[in-house]
Amino acid sequence: MIKTILQRILQLIPILFIVSTIVFVLTRIIPGDPAVTMLGPQAPVEAVEELREELGLNKSIGEQYILYLKNVLKGDFGKSYAYNEPVTKLIFERFPNTLILTAISLILAIIIAIPIGIISATKQYSIFDYVSMIGALVGVSMPIFWLGLMLVLVFSVNLSWLPSIGMGSLENGIWDYVSHLILPSVCLATIPAATFARITRSSMLDIIKQDYIKSLRSKGLKERIVIWKHALKNALPPIITVIGLQISTSLSGAILTETIFGWPGMGRMIVDAIENRDYALIQGTVLFIAFLFVFINLIVDIIYLYVNPKINYEGKKGGE
Amino acid sequence: MINKRKLLAILLVIVLSVTMLAGCGSKPAENPDDGGKDNEAPAEEPGSNEPVSEEDKFGGVMTVALSSSPKNLDPVKYTGVYEGNVISSIADTLVKYKQDLSEIVPSLATEWTTSDDGKVYTFKLRDDVYFQKGEYQDGRQMTAADVKYALERSATESAMNRLGMLDHVEIVNDFEVKCYLKEPNSAFLTVLTDAGNVIVPQEEVEGWGDSFGSHLVGTGPFSIKEFKKDQEVVLERNENYWATKPYLEGLVYKIITDPNQMTNALRTGEIDIATDLGGESVKIVKDDAKLTIQEVPGLHVAYLYMNLMNGPTADIKVREAIIKAIDIEEMVKGIYQYDEAQRAYLPLPPGSWGYDETLEDSIPTYDPEKAKELLTEAGYPDGFSLEVYVSNKPARVKMCTIIQAYLKQNLNIDLEIKTAEWGTFSEVASSGEADMYGMSWTWYPDPFFFLNKMFHSSEIGALGNGQGFNNPDVDKLLDEALVISDTEQRAELYKQALKLITENYSRINYSNEKVIYGFNPEVQDFVMRADNKIVVCSPEVNVWMKH
Repeated sequence: MIKTILQRILQLIPILFIVSTIVFVLTRIIPGDPAVTMLGPQAPVEAVEELREELGLNKSIGEQYILYLKNVLKGDFGKSYAYNEPVTKLIFERFPNTLILTAISLILAIIIAIPIGIISATKQYSIFDYVSMIGALVGVSMPIFWLGLMLVLVFSVNLSWLPSIGMGSLENGIWDYVSHLILPSVCLATIPAATFARITRSSMLDIIKQDYIKSLRSKGLKERIVIWKHALKNALPPIITVIGLQISTSLSGAILTETIFGWPGMGRMIVDAIENRDYALIQGTVLFIAFLFVFINLIVDIIYLYVNPKINYEGKKGGE
Repeated sequence: MINKRKLLAILLVIVLSVTMLAGCGSKPAENPDDGGKDNEAPAEEPGSNEPVSEEDKFGGVMTVALSSSPKNLDPVKYTGVYEGNVISSIADTLVKYKQDLSEIVPSLATEWTTSDDGKVYTFKLRDDVYFQKGEYQDGRQMTAADVKYALERSATESAMNRLGMLDHVEIVNDFEVKCYLKEPNSAFLTVLTDAGNVIVPQEEVEGWGDSFGSHLVGTGPFSIKEFKKDQEVVLERNENYWATKPYLEGLVYKIITDPNQMTNALRTGEIDIATDLGGESVKIVKDDAKLTIQEVPGLHVAYLYMNLMNGPTADIKVREAIIKAIDIEEMVKGIYQYDEAQRAYLPLPPGSWGYDETLEDSIPTYDPEKAKELLTEAGYPDGFSLEVYVSNKPARVKMCTIIQAYLKQNLNIDLEIKTAEWGTFSEVASSGEADMYGMSWTWYPDPFFFLNKMFHSSEIGALGNGQGFNNPDVDKLLDEALVISDTEQRAELYKQALKLITENYSRINYSNEKVIYGFNPEVQDFVMRADNKIVVCSPEVNVWMKH
């Protein structure tokens, strides 16, 4: 197992190298001169020229690329021009905000969706099954922007229960912090919850039909134990895959949710950086996200090994 | 089996219709307390008749929403109007615009004189001004040395080259300085009002280094308490403010980039002032009996450039035909359904002192037949195709769609609309590659900031003059107007330039957008400004909140 993990970590290196190159090329391909974009329409021509020099944009692309790689290897992602601060500092300021939002919304999604999926599977074609699966269909196709605004209209504007925007601060008490979290996490949980419910249902249906479940039942085990212990454990791998994918997607910043609720996370920062053509910040954040993706995939793989030892990455035969 | 499918189908229909109804149903819920419309007349300046004692005005924190995020408050680094607003709450300039923008009035400088050759400005400074306490100085007095330091820093380091005309500053005594310009420049005083030229203490700038932008210290009515990037800037009252004691204990600038959410936050009471209202938000705030709305005509022109260097629009006849083919009056009504703008004629806003009403009549009026004739004369009886570039702002896209329809119908011109986000847009537009491009301009009342930036040949290649306007006579008038200092004479020259510019039919100036803010009625004595600047406390204004 340790060997697998080490191998996986080694694989990170070429992936990150390729990603860093792609990011570099892409940022140079998108039209828009960073100096012009950042200084705005009223900047005099000389000021634009000076900034271009300061940003090193008048060097050849090759030179820029080598300089960039050198710095990345040293762990230096450069300085964001718009914020006038190191990219690493900005990432580590924002990432915890995204992390907490993602964590809460995923926990919410899992708590709601997995039981629904299981019940739907065990009571296939019941009213419960229909209602929850249609609910899931609606959830997965819900425009997040619309949903977010509706949540605010109902719970903030009309009912005045929850704040509409921003992130709370623990200094103002725990409620300030929690109340600001509720609407964005519900908004962000909708699509994952719908996806999880559907995948849980279908995976459970597969397992329930298996012979060994039948034999467990015939042995006289309680239905509750058959379903929640034996069947669920075997149905988990696809569910974990989907959750893992969802974690990486959400961690890279729930752009829409963060924008609507003014949540100072990664997503908003990336969009801003792209709009400003803040090259260093785009490169740094995208690399960081790529790293996260790969890292989470690795964790998911390790969890597989744990929940289902039959899965074998090393290609040894057998395994039972 | 079939039954089950039927059941499923029925269920689907029910659920879909319920969700749709729920969607529609939530609309009326937007106006909770019915009768919002009946009370439309915004409760006439609530409380203006019951006098409030001076002491009762003190206290409270006011929250102002900004639609974009201030990132760097270092005066030499800032680039956006949002940052400018925050900087001006913390630090002061030597001179400033009067609230109605009619003239430049004293701030840190009490009086000033200009040398005969227009190259030396002498300022007398206040002797009762102290900096806010900071990490690297303990609230010491501001003197001529600070003015020299801050202005020379701006002259050499400003990212926007705001004070490029300043050569150096000489200290006469502790409270008097002489500013030497490289060339005479009558826009100098106006430039000094910019937030980029506020006076800051050297110790703080050097002490903080790169992070001075998060720890700005100045002499203004409020000082920074906390700067949470992309969330809010929390300011607290500066007890030692030289002009007056601010009524407000604190001022918070909260960043809300989504316009719908800004309106929502105003309705929930999370913010007290919503800035930059437009579109449906205007209606929602007007309809809400618990809120008030204020507007002033902005120092703003929205317009459509036509390429003067390449393509069919390089021909003046084609340009005239295009202007004649568009009913601008109708178009403006179509774009601004909530009356957020008035029709424009000239490339200067009517609030600028260089504006010349008599020129309004010289703008071609809507006349589709004459337009067609002109286009035929120019050699395009069957029309042609053009590309128009705009940013993805809804009002700009709407404008293009309307023009597209007019041009197709009246001239058989196929207009292809290319929308792009700002970075892409500005590159295409400034390079002169666009047949047409639409944008807007807003700045100081001094015509220099409109005409020189958009019609001087030296600006070709910048976004202001990406169309390639190049007229030596106009250049000469604009240069001349910058050298002389008498405002009336300057206005005369600008009017002459304006005439030459309008005769060239180089672009379609269609609207002057208003500056519209929504208010919590507890906010008192706020004065709206045409330049969209937020002033909460100054020698002229002191905003307070009813408790």
